[in-house]
Amino acid sequence: MKRNLIMLGIALGLVSAVAQAGDISGKISAAQGASVVYLDKAAGKASPAPTQHFSLDQRSLSFQPHVLVIPVGGTVDFTNSDSVAHNVFWPAISGNRKLSHNLGTWPQGEKRSYTFDSPGVVPLLCNVHSEMSGYIIVSPTPYYALADAAGNFTIPNVPDGSYTVTVWHEGAKPVSKPITVNGSAKLDMSF
Amino acid sequence: MMHFQRFLAAAGFIAVVIALTLLVPRPSDAIPAFSRQYQTSCSTCHLDFPKLNDFGKAFKDAGFKFPKDDQTFLKLPPVMLGAPAQKDLWPNTIWPGTIPGMPPIGLRMNNFFQVSGRHANDFNQLNPAGTPVGTVGGSPYVPRTDFETGLFSIFTAGNFGSGIAFWVDDDISVAGDNSAGGLGDGYLKFVDISRFVHLPKDSLSLRAGRFELDLPFTQARSINLSSYDIYDEANVGAMNSIVPLQQFVNNQFGFADVANGLELSGGHQYGGYHYSIAVVNQNTSGISQSANTSTFVPSATGGANGGLGFASDSNFKDIYSRLSYRFNLERDSASRKAVQAAGATGPRDHTYLSLGSYYFYGRSVQRLAGVLIDNTTPAVVTAREPFYRVGGDFSFNFRTFNLFGLYMYGHDRNQLPIDANGNVIVLPITTSSPLPVGFISGRSATFDGGFLQADYLALPWIMLIGRYDAVNSTADRINGLAMAQNTSFAVPFPATRNRITPGVQILIHANIKAGFEYQIRPKQSVTFATNSSGFPVALAPFRSNAATVGLEWVY
Repeated sequence: MKRNLIMLGIALGLVSAVAQAGDISGKISAAQGASVVYLDKAAGKASPAPTQHFSLDQRSLSFQPHVLVIPVGGTVDFTNSDSVAHNVFWPAISGNRKLSHNLGTWPQGEKRSYTFDSPGVVPLLCNVHSEMSGYIIVSPTPYYALADAAGNFTIPNVPDGSYTVTVWHEGAKPVSKPITVNGSAKLDMSF
Repeated sequence: MMHFQRFLAAAGFIAVVIALTLLVPRPSDAIPAFSRQYQTSCSTCHLDFPKLNDFGKAFKDAGFKFPKDDQTFLKLPPVMLGAPAQKDLWPNTIWPGTIPGMPPIGLRMNNFFQVSGRHANDFNQLNPAGTPVGTVGGSPYVPRTDFETGLFSIFTAGNFGSGIAFWVDDDISVAGDNSAGGLGDGYLKFVDISRFVHLPKDSLSLRAGRFELDLPFTQARSINLSSYDIYDEANVGAMNSIVPLQQFVNNQFGFADVANGLELSGGHQYGGYHYSIAVVNQNTSGISQSANTSTFVPSATGGANGGLGFASDSNFKDIYSRLSYRFNLERDSASRKAVQAAGATGPRDHTYLSLGSYYFYGRSVQRLAGVLIDNTTPAVVTAREPFYRVGGDFSFNFRTFNLFGLYMYGHDRNQLPIDANGNVIVLPITTSSPLPVGFISGRSATFDGGFLQADYLALPWIMLIGRYDAVNSTADRINGLAMAQNTSFAVPFPATRNRITPGVQILIHANIKAGFEYQIRPKQSVTFATNSSGFPVALAPFRSNAATVGLEWVY
């Protein structure tokens, strides 16, 4: 009997937890370019920095992927797969020039890593191939998503509550708006 | 008053349009021939176009390809002219090659604005007395300021696979009226044929066609608005009958002239040794290929009406050779040997010192209507005057500062015409001169000079230029003396004509630039007196300085 009561309690707890979290989904409409959606702030304790490393390659005179989203505290391994020399630098993070950085030069097959402790938009450049362009979006929370080619996105498992959601679209000014998650939420936006 | 307001409104509108044209940023970047193929900016290969950076030099050395893994960078796949497996069937099939996926075409246009020195019209003092300046019969009036149409050129280049590169450029229109347009270079380059004869990689390539010689510093692809004086120096011996020096040299060869022939080369321009040996046509009379025809002589490249004509004016073939060595000065061995140095904040051009030498040998030909030694039988007498140009060059580069220079010595043997009695015929030859029967050697016609230039890329879009040109030529001075009365133009009074040319170039975009150059020219004079020793003395010498603004774009 006691055992059954414990099992019932666990089941009720799980149902309660599921009811308190939901997805934010929607569509970002734009003529072209990538879109990123993230929550500016989440309730509760700050999430620990992710232990996994993210990768960003330089291949065929381009940054691949062109847009990478990571949570704050995330570490990116920059590699060079080209047989020509490259470098990676960013002149600012979200316009803050004090956060500019230059990773220098390294040969093909090697990598350099960098941990992004400040949230924001990191425009990646190469000082020998001025046409090269890439972005790292450092999300302040672990709740983020990169929209697919059709503009659809889903941010899963967002605890119920009220937030500010920001949508970044390449070439446009980021747009923020309030959103309430109560089981689920919908967000559609056009650029 | 109303007209003045309208004028102001129109001027303001034009100023706004020009400002918008120049200043409003555009989303696209430079896309000439290679930019299109690789979808990369001009600045990948150029510092201030057309000046190449180290990567651009390696790209050119490799036959207009990326030095390694070229196919991975091509954004426009080439069109296969045969499957690669066809190679296994050779010689029973054509060796497969490729052509660029799209015609690799680049276009270039420039315009200029020039401000001439206030003494520019002083040269017109040489007109016959009573001829008003700027009228029919007098020299054209030289304006102080002038807008000029430059050249519109097309250039196309790339690689046909198998290490065969091509380049063709043509000035479709020059000065707006096509009066002086024409083909520039047009050649095939068989890159690294050393692989067929088991020589070290890149130690032997063959170029065939029409090309600028492997000059230490290119004239055709120079960033300067004005050309190097020493490259344009034709050696025309002293012809003035009132001075004792007599020279029968009339060599129109200019060092930067385009050449027709074959060239073997090897090494790299971005480090280590580099050499070239070329065998090219001789043409010292300046006759054009299309004009050198005969209706009576069938041409091997055409019908009896002259065919293509002839590009040479003699049987002899000229020889040009160049050898240079570039010391890259980085401490790190791997960086030193790489195409570009690995700087702390990104790849950059090497710090280097390059030393080189060059030698050109030819034989200038002049033909005269004369007689045989019997002084009766008509004959064509030919003066063959060997000439050479020799010199050295250096280039030092540190970060974005480049100091380079060249010295040249020119020497033409002087063959003076003699009559049947063995007497030298007084020059210049006129209808009353005795008929020549042959030649004897006289004092050679020589000149020397060079240039020194410093380029500093202050910012990636601002190039500061300082340049000094010098040409020392006795013949220039004597031929230009106003006392000769047979020249309508004065040249510098001293034997040395030199100029200092500061300049600046600004890249508005990677493919658009504005350039400025101020030429501080030597003193000249058109009026002379004779001093107590009997030598001419210039009166009221003046400088004919000039400023030029250029606007150039490629796309």
